[in-house]
Amino acid sequence: MSDDASLAELRETLAADGGLEEAQVRLLASADLLSLGVLADEARRRRHGQQATFVRVAEVAVDASAVETPGRAREIRVTGVPASVDAAETAVRAVAGQGVPVTGFALHDLMGLANGHAAEFARLLRVLGDAGLVAVSELTVDRTVDPESAVAVVADAGLAVSRLTIQDARGDSRLEWVRTVAGWSFPPKAVRAFAPLPRAESGATPESEPATGYDDVRQVALSRLLVDNIDSIQVDWALHGPKLAQVALTFGADDIDGVPAVDTDELGPRRTSVEDVRRNIRAASFTPVERDGGFESVTR
Amino acid sequence: MSTSSPAVDALARKVRDGGRLSRSEALTLYTEAPTHLLGRLADEVRAARHPSGVVTYIIDRNVNYTNICVAQCNFCAFYRPVGAADGYVLGFDELFRKIDDTIAVGGEQLLLQGGHNPDLPLEWYEDLFRAIKARYPAFRLHALSPPEVIHLSRLAQVEVPVVIERLMAAGLDSIPGGGAEVLVDRVRRELNCLSKATADEWLDVMRHAHRAGLRTTVTMMYGTVERPDERIEHLMRVRELQDETGGFTAFISWSFQPSHTERGGAEATGVEYLRTLALARLVLDNVDNLQASWVTQGGKVGQLGLSFGANDMGSVMIEENVVRAAGAAFCMDELEIVRNIENAGFIPRRRNMHYELLGDPIVWERDVPRMTALAEARAVGDASVPEELVRYRARTPTGKRQRAPR
Ligand code: SF4
Repeated sequence: MSDDASLAELRETLAADGGLEEAQVRLLASADLLSLGVLADEARRRRHGQQATFVRVAEVAVDASAVETPGRAREIRVTGVPASVDAAETAVRAVAGQGVPVTGFALHDLMGLANGHAAEFARLLRVLGDAGLVAVSELTVDRTVDPESAVAVVADAGLAVSRLTIQDARGDSRLEWVRTVAGWSFPPKAVRAFAPLPRAESGATPESEPATGYDDVRQVALSRLLVDNIDSIQVDWALHGPKLAQVALTFGADDIDGVPAVDTDELGPRRTSVEDVRRNIRAASFTPVERDGGFESVTR
Repeated sequence: MSTSSPAVDALARKVRDGGRLSRSEALTLYTEAPTHLLGRLADEVRAARHPSGVVTYIIDRNVNYTNICVAQCNFCAFYRPVGAADGYVLGFDELFRKIDDTIAVGGEQLLLQGGHNPDLPLEWYEDLFRAIKARYPAFRLHALSPPEVIHLSRLAQVEVPVVIERLMAAGLDSIPGGGAEVLVDRVRRELNCLSKATADEWLDVMRHAHRAGLRTTVTMMYGTVERPDERIEHLMRVRELQDETGGFTAFISWSFQPSHTERGGAEATGVEYLRTLALARLVLDNVDNLQASWVTQGGKVGQLGLSFGANDMGSVMIEENVVRAAGAAFCMDELEIVRNIENAGFIPRRRNMHYELLGDPIVWERDVPRMTALAEARAVGDASVPEELVRYRARTPTGKRQRAPR
């Protein structure tokens, strides 16, 4: 966007919280990286000011036999596909009641457990809520049928969806998903964050070229500018690495997911401590705020 | 793009008007300007200097001929002391094989650097360079950073200009800008690298090299003990010498890689890298080329460097040992570098060390096998001692024992 007049007009529209016209979306999508970054940074600061949040997550496999959750976790996340409703409930009960919000599961897996029956799905969510679940960990937008209705059922059951994720999208379909998500409507606070960087990252075949740095920060920036219906734009510390996660904060992201609750060598060079996260956030000129799995600030 | 700081806004105008930044102005921009503004200014300066939209890269191989070093810089994870079981010196034949491999993928240069090995006299380097040039007359030797030149000058007890002259006579084509770290003696003292070269000595080697007709690069390794004003002091010293000689072809900065080093600590962040790169583009108004360091920052932040002042993606380096020893192991082959350049909206072109364009990417012309990992100097456990070493006088008892006739 070398055209200063168009940039100024877009900036005014965004600042006034006005909807963007199709031509403006196209202009944004073709804007140069730094112009896009400036607009996205302004948009994230209007919502979140100087704050950048992060969460320390302890992942617990749904079929884990012994469960020991680290004391520093601010979210316990039950991962994996449950074999049955009972297995899902048991896994949640095993980690609930420790004063740490419990999230878990992918929404499409829970829908699968309910065999697609709406009433059964609603009942399952209530069972899990009673067992101690506060939120479904993720709704994978490219794996979930009728996400808006599904989120409404989750909200009805008194739960939230922690984040929307994209499993696998390349090229133009990345932006298409952002626009699709932006077009959905959800009950207030039913969806807490949108993680717009596709989680499948494979360059194993020529057709599946890995995303570049430009691709990723553009995706983050466009998400912040177009997705008005979700408060947080999220990146993942362990998945994307500290450097990209930090740079993404300056391109519109405001929340860092996936900070390990224990330091571990398994992450190799991405091994980290909460101090590293705070240092990275400060070095990006933001104020670090730790949150829990319920998206509440942690002051302890 | 205006900011809430009148001082920063005034400096942005100064940069846009082509003004030269003073030390204090550079410090204000570095510490106070928003990251996007720094990037925008650096991008504008880059575009004015390189209006064709070409982003270059070189196909070469980064070979470390020995890891034995007496300097013992506390930020270095690569060196081994004399006598260490995993210390090595590469043989001439091993180096020839590496050159063959490099030529096979379209490379035309070795970046040859190593430790300060007291058992390798100046004659070893001269013979090596001559042997390479005899076998591969067109192949370029971008070799021996200033501290290595100083080490050889001390070892051979001849002046630096004489070392340069002898190495040039043997085939040296250009000098890499390694070992600069931060060109401030307080910093160098703390990094235990003052004795390998003071800031003045480092710059003096480059001055002599430029006067002798060699072109060189210049680097900065930041993120250890230096303050922001000391990073700027480094840039100012580079700018001053460049005003004097014009001999630097490119500036390359990277962050200290702490893993496995005596110094340890945390690595500077990605945003700091982009800000430092952008500032270098603004201060170094007399250096044409700035490289993006994907080797230390990873491909993604490395590519983003192209929006923060870089116009070069560095090297398809084929082999790398120093940064890997400190825990970073990123790899980009030519296809990947070209893809990243195009994805960022630029035109990829191969270059040589003088930044002369050599042509389109090799991968556009023919199939080149994919490279998914950078090679290492030597296979782990290979403790062989090159035959030709017996021809050279060793100085240490270990070296003498190794070379004694059996
Ligand atoms: S940085 Fe170079 S001079 Fe210093 S210890 Fe390592 S190999 Fe030796």
